[in-house]
Amino acid sequence: MDSADDTPTASGEPLDLVRLCIDEVVYVKLRGDRELSGRLHAYDSHCNLILGDVEETIYIVDEKDSDDEDSDDEDDSAGMRFVKKKSEMLFVRGDSVVLVSPDQPKD
Amino acid sequence: MADESFENGTEAQDQGGRKYDPSAFLAEINGKSVTVKLNNGIVYKGNLQNVDGYMNIALEHTREVINGKPGKNYGDTFIRGNNVQYISAD
Amino acid sequence: MSFFGFDTTLPRDRGHQTAAPGFGQTQDAFAGLSSRPDAFGESDTLDFEETYDGLGDQLDETDDAFNDDTFGEAPATQQSIGKDFDFAGRTAQMSNVLQEEGLLHAVRQPPRRASPPKPVAKPRRTGYESYAESSYIPKLEADASIWGTAPKKPAQEAQPSNQSASAPARKMMSVEEVEAMMRAQASQPQPQTQPVRPPPQQLPPTMQYDFPPSQPTPQQPGFAGPPQILQRPQQQIPDQRQGTTQRHPVQAELPGQGVHQPQILQRQRPEHSQPRHGGTPSQHGIQFQQQQQQAQHRQQQQQQQQPPQQGAPLQPRQILQNPNRLSGHGQPLAPQYRNQDMPRVPPTGPSHHRGPSYQGPVITNPQQILNLSEEDRAAYLAEEAKRAKRNHKIYLLSQGNHLMTPQDKNFITRIQLQQLVTATGGADEAGGESLLAEDFYYQVYAQIRGASRQHPNQPANQFAQTYLFQTGGRFGMSGRRQQRGGDNHMQRMEQQVQRAVEAAKLKPKNKQLVIEGSLGKISFSNSKTPKPLLNIKRSEDSRPPSAGPRVSRAKNGSTIPDRKVALRDLEKIYDTLMVLEDHERRMPRLREDSDAAVVQSHMEWTQQMESLNQRLWTELKVMEPIIPNSTTAHPFIALLSHPKGKKAIPRVFRHLSEQQRVTILTMLVIQLDGLDVISAALPPASAGPHADAIVPSASVRDEVELFAMSVIPPLFTYVSDAPLHIVVGLLGLALDRTNISNLIRTKIGLGILTMFVSRAELIRQAQGAAGSSDWDVWTSHYDRLFDEAESELPFIFPGGSNAASLKEVDDVHVWQFLAAMGVGASPDQQQRLVLGVKERVMETVAVSKALPADLAAKRLGNVNLFMRAIGLDVELLG
Repeated sequence: MDSADDTPTASGEPLDLVRLCIDEVVYVKLRGDRELSGRLHAYDSHCNLILGDVEETIYIVDEKDSDDEDSDDEDDSAGMRFVKKKSEMLFVRGDSVVLVSPDQPKD
Repeated sequence: MADESFENGTEAQDQGGRKYDPSAFLAEINGKSVTVKLNNGIVYKGNLQNVDGYMNIALEHTREVINGKPGKNYGDTFIRGNNVQYISAD
Repeated sequence: MSFFGFDTTLPRDRGHQTAAPGFGQTQDAFAGLSSRPDAFGESDTLDFEETYDGLGDQLDETDDAFNDDTFGEAPATQQSIGKDFDFAGRTAQMSNVLQEEGLLHAVRQPPRRASPPKPVAKPRRTGYESYAESSYIPKLEADASIWGTAPKKPAQEAQPSNQSASAPARKMMSVEEVEAMMRAQASQPQPQTQPVRPPPQQLPPTMQYDFPPSQPTPQQPGFAGPPQILQRPQQQIPDQRQGTTQRHPVQAELPGQGVHQPQILQRQRPEHSQPRHGGTPSQHGIQFQQQQQQAQHRQQQQQQQQPPQQGAPLQPRQILQNPNRLSGHGQPLAPQYRNQDMPRVPPTGPSHHRGPSYQGPVITNPQQILNLSEEDRAAYLAEEAKRAKRNHKIYLLSQGNHLMTPQDKNFITRIQLQQLVTATGGADEAGGESLLAEDFYYQVYAQIRGASRQHPNQPANQFAQTYLFQTGGRFGMSGRRQQRGGDNHMQRMEQQVQRAVEAAKLKPKNKQLVIEGSLGKISFSNSKTPKPLLNIKRSEDSRPPSAGPRVSRAKNGSTIPDRKVALRDLEKIYDTLMVLEDHERRMPRLREDSDAAVVQSHMEWTQQMESLNQRLWTELKVMEPIIPNSTTAHPFIALLSHPKGKKAIPRVFRHLSEQQRVTILTMLVIQLDGLDVISAALPPASAGPHADAIVPSASVRDEVELFAMSVIPPLFTYVSDAPLHIVVGLLGLALDRTNISNLIRTKIGLGILTMFVSRAELIRQAQGAAGSSDWDVWTSHYDRLFDEAESELPFIFPGGSNAASLKEVDDVHVWQFLAAMGVGASPDQQQRLVLGVKERVMETVAVSKALPADLAAKRLGNVNLFMRAIGLDVELLG
């Protein structure tokens, strides 16, 4: 809280952030337009992750839609489809991980 | 070659005459607002919490920018170092 | 005079190939020999290397396995080599057997006359033909300057005997050599020996000791000669040392000698050539003499007479072959003996002599024996026997030697160095460094070199590259042929490595090969642990700026920082818990009769336990001040909003004192409103009584369930033993500090209230309400609670009231609460309770009729909890 001696990030490293997320629901962005959301059970220094109760979202860009049109939201909704998959438990190999966030992203 | 990778490249002298290298830079921008660009072109802006030797990055109050358009917002993010193209101080 | 010497006048550039095609063959044959019978493994190899003229260089490396074939075929000039070669090889193999037999003979039989060397199988052209010519004087190919050493004196003496002995299968070459050498001697009355270096000198002194001063052996130079090196020195050496030999091995090993070995080996050729250079020997001789004097007490006589000779021969032996010492000791030839022999034998190339030398001890020159006195002869024989024993031992020890040919070794050496070069990235490939980490040789190399990487001017792989290019490694194939014929990979590598090591010693240690990584120390990288790209310097002063904004944001009401803070706190708590639990397991056993030490350790353990407990308590942040109207939850409550925070409670409670537990309970009760399992589980405010679909979301339900499973039990355990005043106090706090209606509408809140009420009722039943003031307080609290609860009765049941939800809803906690309330209720209150829930009771009974028997029984059982508390039963409603 407000206590002065609480310097949360002091001498920490980025992976500490992931450690804090242990047993929490995390959002993970993967290569290949995939996203995961699930409870983080374990991780290692490579960002290999074990997630439970995972919802995977795979974004698929429809080719027919022109990418460069300026219709922002339209483009997103029309050009991007996504598929969701649920998994009880997932092992995620670290090299496909782009980003891990303890919070569900807000648009 | 192998020699340099441990020394973070060539060291330059800043105005103060002290050693100035990537490490010093990263240490300096810790806690400040930065822009991180990934190899896939996505840009993240946020406050740099810390960086490690693998270029793993922790940001807080992260805003995502995709193709110049704002994307999602995250509270904290951990970005795996291998994806990082650059870090720049805002 | 060496067989090595090739006549430069010969048409071919490479004297070796053309002139001595058989040379390469002989090498192999020797290698075979040395591998078995003789113990002088490595040193022998070295000898060969020296004598090796570089034929191997001409070979395609990939064909190393077929060296023999290649050698045979390589020189186009030769004709019909093949058969001869085979023959030589066979004889060489045979010679092993012969040698062994010879050894046995030597042990068992008195020295007999050596049979004259007969070329058993002589190749048509061996390349040594030139030696047969009386006028032939071998020339040295290599400049002495190359090796930085002056040419050596030819060793003359011992060889003759050796050769003759070894003669049979041994090497035809050796025989011929002997002849050539003899001729050479004749032409050059004095041994051309020049003391090359001090090291040899050292040896001589020892030799001198052995010999009685009275026996100035003018011939000594001869035995001192190179032959010893190649051969198992025994024969020759013995001659010198006959008398004293065994003690002196130490001297022979003198450091100086050892150091110079490589040089000595290389110089062999020069030695041979020396005969031609008349002038040099004398100079060397002088130096040699001086050195000798300095080095040790020699007999002046001997020194003066033949200083140079002595020095030279000795060195080679010791250096090349360890066995030499042994041989030296064992060899009991009398000086006389030597004298006789020496004149005969001109110095021969070391390699050739091996064979003969070996046999030599066995078969002595008859003349020698004859010349020996009885004593000498007996001594000699005894020494011979000893030596034979020793040789046999050595043989046994050396059976593994020479499994690889010199070519094989060179090949492997090249491969290794190549790995070094590639591993260090080579001059041209920058990405090579990734290969480094897993390369064993590189690691060793890096160890040796230490900090060298920091010096860009000196590429890490410099030495390896240098080596490879010089020796025509894979990178420099074309260069190979241009090399001197005598290049020896092993020697070169040895030298290079030595230089590298010395260079490394001069350099500062590399400071930054190890840095701190996420999981501890990270040193070199490999495929499994990526190498950090940066060495981040972490300075504490960089912290405040980041911490500052965070705090301010927290006050702005953002929940994110709070959450992270809570998560960090949790990490600390878990860390402490693990330490604590680990420490707990290490409690020393304390018994009545435990001695002081155990008691002491137990006390220390207890102290540690207490400090850990304090640490845990601090980290729980239970005692953090409560900030009224704060938008952020109390840190302890924040902990409980995370699943792992809830899960930690049972573990934490185990280690807490009663006081700490009640403190936690108190803190919890005061802030029940802030608990996520209450605030988040509240039905929407807009929902009216009996509203449908007020079931909380799945995630909240999970949290509630987790809380009920992990946090409530330890609390309940505590409360179930708590005295009345505690219960009264807690209920009072709940009534005063929280929104009771919120508690009543949520499962957790209701559960906690039930806990207090039921405990009070149990106490009352156990002790009776004997008019203590506590009961008065309790009664007033109860009444307040009842009033609050009565107004909430319409909202108390989760999941609405329709039939569908009634079938599934979990309302047991509500019935439990009602039962607890009903037990302590006054008749009037009971009546009000029944009225309040009558509808629900009737609905449930109705619904249960449509349910399967087990479910129906369960539902009715839940209702009966309450009904029986007030003296009723659902059956009565039937």
